[in-house]
Parts: sequence; C-alpha cells; structure tokens
Amino acid sequence: MSFKMEEKIISKDDLLKLCGDVIAKGHTLLAPGIAEYEQVKDVSQIRLDSSALPTKTSYKSYVFPKAEPILYYKRSKSDVQLIDVDVNGKKIVVLGAKPCDTNSINILKHLFNWDYEDEFFNLRQKHFVIIGLMCSSFDEYCFCTSVGSSPVSEEGSDLFLIPINEDKFALRIITEKGKEFIEPYSEFLKDGDEAKSNAVLESIKKPEVAFDSKQVHEWLGDNFENPKWEGIGNVCLSCAQCAFVCPVCHCFDLVDEDYSYSEGRRMKNWDGCQFGHFTLHASGHNPRDIQSKRYRQRVNHKFRYYVDKFGEILCTGCGRCSRGCPVSIDIKEIVSNCKD
Amino acid sequence: MDELRNYARELLEKEEVAAVIGYQQVTEKRTKPIVITDPAETSRLVFNEYCLNNLAVYLTKARIRSLMRTKDKTMKLAIVAKPCDVHSIVALIQENQIHRNDVHIISFNCHGVVKDFGCDFNGDNLAAKCIKCETHKPLYFDKIFGEEKQTPKAGDASLEKINELEKLNSKERFEFFKSEFDKCIKCYACRAVCPLCYCQRCITDKAIPRWIESSSHQRGNFSWNIVRAFHLSGRCTGCGECDRACPMDIPLSLINRRMAMEVKDLFSFVSGRSLETPTLVGNFDKKDSDEIFM
Repeated sequence: MSFKMEEKIISKDDLLKLCGDVIAKGHTLLAPGIAEYEQVKDVSQIRLDSSALPTKTSYKSYVFPKAEPILYYKRSKSDVQLIDVDVNGKKIVVLGAKPCDTNSINILKHLFNWDYEDEFFNLRQKHFVIIGLMCSSFDEYCFCTSVGSSPVSEEGSDLFLIPINEDKFALRIITEKGKEFIEPYSEFLKDGDEAKSNAVLESIKKPEVAFDSKQVHEWLGDNFENPKWEGIGNVCLSCAQCAFVCPVCHCFDLVDEDYSYSEGRRMKNWDGCQFGHFTLHASGHNPRDIQSKRYRQRVNHKFRYYVDKFGEILCTGCGRCSRGCPVSIDIKEIVSNCKD
Repeated sequence: MDELRNYARELLEKEEVAAVIGYQQVTEKRTKPIVITDPAETSRLVFNEYCLNNLAVYLTKARIRSLMRTKDKTMKLAIVAKPCDVHSIVALIQENQIHRNDVHIISFNCHGVVKDFGCDFNGDNLAAKCIKCETHKPLYFDKIFGEEKQTPKAGDASLEKINELEKLNSKERFEFFKSEFDKCIKCYACRAVCPLCYCQRCITDKAIPRWIESSSHQRGNFSWNIVRAFHLSGRCTGCGECDRACPMDIPLSLINRRMAMEVKDLFSFVSGRSLETPTLVGNFDKKDSDEIFM
C-alpha cells in the first residue's frame, strides 16, 4: 500500500492550536521534555526544538510499558479462572518525535508479530500517531547515519515537520494514518513547496558514517570468539540502563504476582540481557555466565541476529545507551571496532 | 600525569600488581574506567576533575579478581582512587571483601570533580559529594600524587532538600518519594555502580520465594528502593554513584545521606573512615542506643 506524500505548510500558532484540540479531545499528547517524552497538559510546554538532543528515554514505554498486567487469575481448590485485561487503546499523538525514535515502533512490530501476535503491543501501536520533527544537531554519541537512517528520515512518521522559519513548518503527510489525523485540521494547512523544504533538509549537517553495518554483520558472524569481547566485559557493570533507555530493546519477563492464595495477576516486565541471571537456567547452568558473553549478545542481537531474522538493524543510532552508560561504554565505538 | 603513568607501568612491569584499574580520557570532558594488564597501555591513564566513577566497584567483580591469580602466585590489584573512593575500599576491607594487602591504592590530593560529564569545573557544577567533602587527602594510600588545591565554594543543595523534606509531614514526604520512585524502571544501574552492593545474588533476583516484586510498579519500586536504603545504612560511604547512574534522575543519595546522618547521630559512626574500627552492624556495644528498636 503506497501513499503519495503531500506537502503542506502550517504556522507554529496553528500547530499549537491543533495540539490544544488533541488535548481537549482527551487524547494523550507526548512531546520531548528535558529528560523524557512528557505528557503535555498545556501547549505552552511544547518546545518543538529541532536542535535538542534525544531525551534520556524514548516513548517506548507508551507502546510497551515497563510493567503491565496481561491477565488476572482467581484460584480455588478445584479451579483456576482467568480474567482478560482490557487494554487501554487510547489515542496517543507524539509531537516532535526525533527521527531516531520514529522508526522504533516499525522495528519492534516484527518481534511482537513474529511467532505470536502481541495484542497489547498491536492495539497500542494502532492508536499511535507519530509527528516527526527533522533533527538539526548531533553529538559524539549520535550515529543514525551508520544504521541506515538520518536526521531527516521520515521513516516511521505519519506526519513530518520541517522548520522553514521561526513561525512556520513544512508539514509532510506521509501515511494514510497521518492524513486521517490531519484532515479535521485542513483549515490550518496551506500548500507547501517541496523543493523549498528539501533544500532545508539538504542543508542539515549529519553525523559522519562511523561503520558499515553490512561489514559489521559479516564480522560478527566470524568473530563469536574474539578477545575484543573480553576487554568490554571487564568494564561493563551488568546493569540494564542501556536496554531500558533503548527505543528498540524489547526483552521482557513474565512473572506471576499473587495478592493472596486465591488471587493474582501475570505481569509482563522489561528485562535486560546484561543482567547476570537473564539466561540463568533452572539447572543452575548459565550459558552467558560472564559479562563479555552478555555484551557480545547485545551487539550480535542488534547488528546480526535481528537483521537475519527480520531484515532490520535493532538500533536507531540515537546514542542513548552510550550517553547514559555509568561506565561510558560507547556502542558506536564498539561496533566501529567490529572489524579486523 | 606522567608520574602516574610511569608509576603504574613500573608496578605492572615488576609484576607487583596484576592489573591497574584506572581512568582513561574519552572526550575532553569525559573519562571512563579502564582495566590495564599490559604495561604499554598505562599511557592512557589520566586523573582529573572528570574522573567521576568510583572504581572500587571493580574490586569485588569475579572477572577482575580472577586476574590476580596466576599459576605460581597471587598478585595485587592497583586502583586509582579519589580520597572518597578510598572510603569505599576501606568499607570493603572492613567487610572482608578484599584484603588490605591485596589492593594497591594510588590516590590523589583531590579538590573535587564535576557533577556530570561535559560540565565545566566550577562551583556551580561541583558534584554534590564534593560540596560537603572533608577528605581532600586520602585516609589510606600506597602512593599519592597531586598538589593540594582549593575546592570551589558551592551551596549544599542536597542538605537543603533533606531539611525541606524533614519539614513535611509523613504523608507529604510519602508523596514526594512516590513521585520519584514512580520513575524507576528497575534497570538496577544504582546497584551495579555501588561498590557496597556486592551481593553475589541480590535479594531482588531471588524468585523462590520472591521477596521483592520484579515489576517496576509502585509497590515493586518502593520495595526495592527501601530495601536498598536499609541495606546500605551504615555502609554507604556517600560516593553518589547511584545518583549519577540513575537514568531517571531519582535523587537516591538523598535517602542514603539521610540514613548516614541518622547513623552518625545514633552511633557516631561514619562508614569507610577507619580500618581500625569494626563495621557498624558487625559491632555491638552495650552503650548503643535502644531507640532504633521498633
């Protein structure tokens, strides 16, 4: 299903009015705040700053919550009764999503619809409208251009904003979903000039390509046993900061929480492959018993296994994991070193 | 810097130590830990206001400890430690996690570090622990470098916050911590960076029975953070690494610092300051206050 992109213009004031209406309708409006994507209560909170670096966390938790009940149960001596969870499929509009975030849901879709269709994820993502915003700055941890994306990528956005001047944005309608969302606000839109906004996109400085992902893929296949992993394993402290701030890391654990003997619920909680007990078997055996094996798994999963399975790199190049790492492990540097 | 590098290189060359745990520069305003076993790599060592990590955390890691044992002998580990990091090493020695003879402490006269990587070093950007620091010279060391310099002056915002929270009633205080703990994602970065969180298997990882719910919902987050606070009372040396590591900016050290104040008031004990005194919980004195018993 191909959709022909439409180029429009919207003033900043009208865009904020639109946002006000989204809030008034009771939808959830998310926008990048200082540390995270915050729920906007008042449009004056909205910054729409294309030069802001990625927030500390992505909006992953709104489509794949950090802890969510997936069923409730009641137990008696003779019977177990299961009670479904009503998933809150509330509309969520993300305004000003970074291009390194916009494609995250598309990347995650593969996993959550592979051997089992995850109705929780699917229902939530169906109600997501993503309004991307071109990104005009980067720091030493950004590497979107090395994983096939760019600061001007429209991939994953339903609508895409390009700042033309102080008070005006070019607004591109990228998907059918985006068109449906924007239609009620057509009074705010004027026809745009694609060539003009393309010129803005071309003028954007982009991070240099740090590595060739195809070569990395190949190297990983040949270097499962390589002393380089040990060096990383010595420094990494085995927390899950990197996985939990990652827009596409998706490992989870299923645990039952009993309120009492007769009642409880099953939870789906974020889990991280750097935890020592992540692969601990009931027998006591642990196939990834040391940190170097765990870090190797992280890099392989992102740059080899996911590519083999789903044809996409499990990384958007946002650099969050590196920026936040307590021991300053830089994934860009490590992946760039995945060569002989 | 050359002094430090030459010294570390000699230690490795003479096989006095198995490895040097130190800092290397990554960008102008960021360093990161490095574990050096090859003498040639000592040229990467640095020490400056951007050496934020408390490297004592590595002393209890099995993979680092395994470096100490070679076929015919057991060697020491050398560690570059700020005076405040030495407190953590002292606490580890007191708790029998490492022998004093197994660690070679290379320390510095310290005038503070920045609160976060990328900041300029001045009073506004001083790490919270440096503002109240009373140990600019290490209490224990095997080698010391650096000249004594003045620490920039700064207001103690964390103490102000503690005082402010003290004034609230318990319900209001609960609301404050509820809103902070709601942010917790249970990545356990606070646990990973803490030198005193060395349990081989943390209580939160035990599933049969499960004492602490693994879910990062309100009850799970309260359980974890309260257990953490209690387990570190009288043990936390106030290095502030948990604060720095938390990706959700939860002010964890407010809790640790408040607990340390309590311990000091009740038992006149400050963790990690003396190798001669036993640990707080490992010591019973008939004169101890009974107030702590609920």
